[in-house]
Amino acid sequence: MAPRAPAAEIPLGGDDERLLIEAAKTDPRRFAELYERNFNRVYAFVARRAGDRAEAEDLTADVFHEALANLGRFEWRGVPFAAWLLRIARNAVIDRWQRTTRERGEPAQDPGGDENLADVDRRAMLADLVGRLPGDQRRVVLERFVEQKSIREIARELGRTEGAVKQLQFRALENLRARMKDVHE
Amino acid sequence: MSEQARIDRLAEALEGILADPRAPLPPADAELAELLSIAHDLRDLPRPTFRARLGADLLRRVTMTTAATATTAREGIRTVIPYLAVRPAAELIEFVTQAFGAQELLRTTGSAGGIHAEVRIGDSDVMIGGGGAWGGPPTPTGLHLYVPDADQVYRAALEAGAESLYAPVDQPYGDREAGVKDVAGNHWYIATHQAGGHVPPDLGTVTPFLHPRGAAELIDFMKQAFAAEELAIHREPEGRIAHAKIRVGGSVIEMGEAHDQWGPMPTMFYLYVDDVDAWYRRALAAGATSLEAPAPQPYGERRAAVRDAFDNQWYLATPMP
Repeated sequence: MAPRAPAAEIPLGGDDERLLIEAAKTDPRRFAELYERNFNRVYAFVARRAGDRAEAEDLTADVFHEALANLGRFEWRGVPFAAWLLRIARNAVIDRWQRTTRERGEPAQDPGGDENLADVDRRAMLADLVGRLPGDQRRVVLERFVEQKSIREIARELGRTEGAVKQLQFRALENLRARMKDVHE
Repeated sequence: MSEQARIDRLAEALEGILADPRAPLPPADAELAELLSIAHDLRDLPRPTFRARLGADLLRRVTMTTAATATTAREGIRTVIPYLAVRPAAELIEFVTQAFGAQELLRTTGSAGGIHAEVRIGDSDVMIGGGGAWGGPPTPTGLHLYVPDADQVYRAALEAGAESLYAPVDQPYGDREAGVKDVAGNHWYIATHQAGGHVPPDLGTVTPFLHPRGAAELIDFMKQAFAAEELAIHREPEGRIAHAKIRVGGSVIEMGEAHDQWGPMPTMFYLYVDDVDAWYRRALAAGATSLEAPAPQPYGERRAAVRDAFDNQWYLATPMP
């Protein structure tokens, strides 16, 4: 069986994407595919610019709701759909920042920072790869880094020893490192 | 350095990274430094439940905005909704809410004196009925449920009172999957698709999964009665159907020939159709038995019902103008 490409590996801006966008314009249910393909990228972009997880989630939701509402206005000129989404994301981040600083009476600044898209892509790819780890390793990664649980708590939930959980954590990171290298080579 | 020493060093360094996200990465050799850099990025990992919820919200918004045109423009059978008629109906609603994050859309009293409820799990609707004065035969069945993290949902299901049928396992067809039996006897095959999104492109969050004796005959009946189409059929070398995806209108029903402990669990389906009377006649012509001739219902639908040779009940309904 051919290896299956994680979403972030799908080439940006190809004919496939153009057809999918055209399909989604006539049947908005196809937007679900655009969402699945681009979720990790948008989240990776806003996560570094948001104050916390709740804000990152709010911003991500704003971006996709706005993209869905304005899909008809997206014009295909060879610009990847992801670039359009990230422009919406950048504006959403700036809007929120300006609102917050205005409320606090501070001067508004641009929180967009340097647009290091390679960095965004790398973190989106990492999120894709986590979804493809073996079940136990994936679970330890999610519990540890997303839920911020301690090794002891995870060991108790899994019914494993703390040593076994540390080993799963190590294997997961080793796996992710190897898979990131595979993708880049 | 031994592997055990590396495992411990990583664990120790991660404690620091997780405790203080702004702290610089601790000094480490090149190999460990690479792992720590990945760990640093993992702190920005999205919650799978958030991704699933936002996806479902977007789909709901799309469905609401397109429903008006779709219901009038598309002909034939629109949706097939599994109807789980069970005695502990209230407990089942509580279970799907707790374990699967179901949203209760409607709860009322049905014509037979039991509960009639409609819940949404992810992008899929499920009807649940029974309890109270209702004394009909229960119709629990098998259901395929796609979630972002099968292990986590399996655990949540057990915590909510389900019994394990099998613990999470990486299946040869590429899904991480576990099985539970709920309080009402339904089997839930809880899966995470491992490529692209966590749901395969041709399925929704919940898909009914039947194990009839004579899957090929049931598929033939569904084709004749409900204009079903085969999306995929996988046969075992001796020809038995191992897995099939059958599209009926805009919905999919999965099935595999009964085997081992996975025997038939005939159930009820609620089909929204364009012309109840015509589909009712077509189902009878395909060999179904009538349960109810088409008639208006007090809740504003014209409805009929038939039973197939495998004991599944098919309710056909259309809203009355």
